[in-house]
Amino acid sequence: MDVREKLRILSAAAKYDVSCSSSGSSRCAPPGGLGDACSAGICHTWAADGRCVSLLKVLLSNACKYDCAYCVNRRSNDVPRATFTPKELIQLTIEFYRRNYIEGLFLSSAVIKDPDYTMELLVKIARELRTVHRFGGYIHLKAIPGASARLLYEAGLYADRSSVNIEVPSDKSLQYLAPEKNFASVYAPMNFFAERKLEYKASVSRYTPSFLPAGQSTQMIVGASGESDYQILSLTSGFYNKQKLKRVYYSGYVPINADKRLPVLTTKPPLVREHRLYQADWLMRFYKFRYDEILDEAHPNLDLELDPKIGWALRHPEMFPVDLQHADYEMILRVPGIGVKSAQLIVSGRRFAKIRLEQLKKMGVVLKRAKYFIYHPDTPASLRRLYPEMVRPLLLPRPKSGQLDLFGNTPLALPA
Amino acid sequence: MFLSIQYDSTFEGFLSAVFEIYRQHLEVGEIRPDRSAAPADMFLQPFHIETSEESAARLHRAIVNFASEEVYNLLHAAFLSEEEGVEMKIFAFLKKLFSGADPSYGQNPASAEMLPLYKLGQSVRREAGGMLGLVRFAVGPDNMLCAEIEPKYDVLMLMEAHFSKRFANEKWLIYDSKRDYGLFHDRTGCQVVTLPGYKSGAMDLKDSFTDLWREFYKSIAIKERENPKLLRRCLPVRYWNHLPERSMATAVT
Repeated sequence: MDVREKLRILSAAAKYDVSCSSSGSSRCAPPGGLGDACSAGICHTWAADGRCVSLLKVLLSNACKYDCAYCVNRRSNDVPRATFTPKELIQLTIEFYRRNYIEGLFLSSAVIKDPDYTMELLVKIARELRTVHRFGGYIHLKAIPGASARLLYEAGLYADRSSVNIEVPSDKSLQYLAPEKNFASVYAPMNFFAERKLEYKASVSRYTPSFLPAGQSTQMIVGASGESDYQILSLTSGFYNKQKLKRVYYSGYVPINADKRLPVLTTKPPLVREHRLYQADWLMRFYKFRYDEILDEAHPNLDLELDPKIGWALRHPEMFPVDLQHADYEMILRVPGIGVKSAQLIVSGRRFAKIRLEQLKKMGVVLKRAKYFIYHPDTPASLRRLYPEMVRPLLLPRPKSGQLDLFGNTPLALPA
Repeated sequence: MFLSIQYDSTFEGFLSAVFEIYRQHLEVGEIRPDRSAAPADMFLQPFHIETSEESAARLHRAIVNFASEEVYNLLHAAFLSEEEGVEMKIFAFLKKLFSGADPSYGQNPASAEMLPLYKLGQSVRREAGGMLGLVRFAVGPDNMLCAEIEPKYDVLMLMEAHFSKRFANEKWLIYDSKRDYGLFHDRTGCQVVTLPGYKSGAMDLKDSFTDLWREFYKSIAIKERENPKLLRRCLPVRYWNHLPERSMATAVT
């Protein structure tokens, strides 16, 4: 099998891993070596599905000994199997990198023989790239659940970011869908990395080597098992606060395997739900929302029609309208239609002059949403209190108006 | 009579022009770069100002004193947009800044003069940042990496530091064929070069790794999730020409 064929099989096998970022590390180019890392991350291209591509995302091998229901590479699937040799993979990485196709390498693998054997192979490639080829680009290494602490530690020294995928958002469903895995085996490497990172952070010597400078991430599949959004967000919030993860990715389940434990093959991937979960994730990371503010036991699922920020605002009419001239930065952040950049502009601009409606427009505030939630000198008296039941229909996306069908018998919808 | 100030299209040239406007108390109707192809305003008298590094440096110092280095960099970024009339917008900002009427004017990013420049500077920086990933090198003779770009704004010089650090031990050339100049790095330092008579597309060479890259690109797309609208928003069609993984798609559609 030639490299081209292997690349085709092993990148197609890795494509369901959604982690794409190359951010968080500012590794300098090693003397005489090739490449560095850019802490903001750089996207190099976008795939036909609109996801950014910044790393050479491949599996080392797809010959897996596990049989997880949701995975393309499970033992019981009849798919072509391939394995890269370290030399092929290293050459691909370096040549792609020189042509500025990629930011670095994202290396994952199916479990061959046992976790330690697989992890050893992954670490070997990272070590060779860093030491023999003096490669300074980004390396994202998957940690294999069940690998020994020695190998994980070494992985942390060479990689910029590491990740272990939780895959299914509850322990019970995980054990049901992936009999060889459980939450404890996934949490073990995550906690190991988090603890080592804390130790490294505590030592202040400038000779301390960097340990996973870009932290960790994880991924979970949405829509393959019956968890509610509330459960998912509370799990996510735990990851951010306890394991100090940098990112949690959500992947709407694309039916690839016929299995009676999973939704049927004709199910469409829940793309809107996935989008809403990312919005909620953003609210937790950049807008200082707690997970139990976004959802609670009474509202366990995100509203598919409106974004979670509007959802929160409509459930808390007593907080609105917000007076942009005097409110805290945190409160301005919570106004639907105002993002982090506009909020900063408002806060630094209002020290010099009154913020008026037309200025907001120029700043890039989405007035279509924000106008119901802000108070400014020009606000008409009718909008000085927020009535959720009146505002909600105004915020919903309008159905597209098209030409009426002459022979259809759908009743004419008259404007109310 | 109002003047149509002309300068040599560089930022130093523009700063020297502003410096001379203040020194000679000129009445300005417009400020035009000499690359501008727009018809001249017949009611304005043309007036050419020579670029002087010294006066540009003095104006730089003045902007830093009245506002900050950050504001200077932002004005530079907005200037690189090459938008028609951006010079007058910057001049209006500077006039108000130097008038001294409001001592904190330089710190306000939301003032009527600053906000459009701030937005413009941000879009230039956004393109410069995005372009870092969209440069595609081809391995040319003598193992030299060469790439051609056609950015919307004049962002090549903003990318110099990034590529000098990343490919410090490589010989490389990035050529902006729209503005006809390029950056050449020869393992010791960067210099600006022009290739007279360069034909667009001459650097889009192919080798086996280009093919492998296309193969990789094709196989990572998930068919069930295809979203051409999102793709176009993230990766505008104007960049596709020089991307080996997308240039096939333009040939087909």
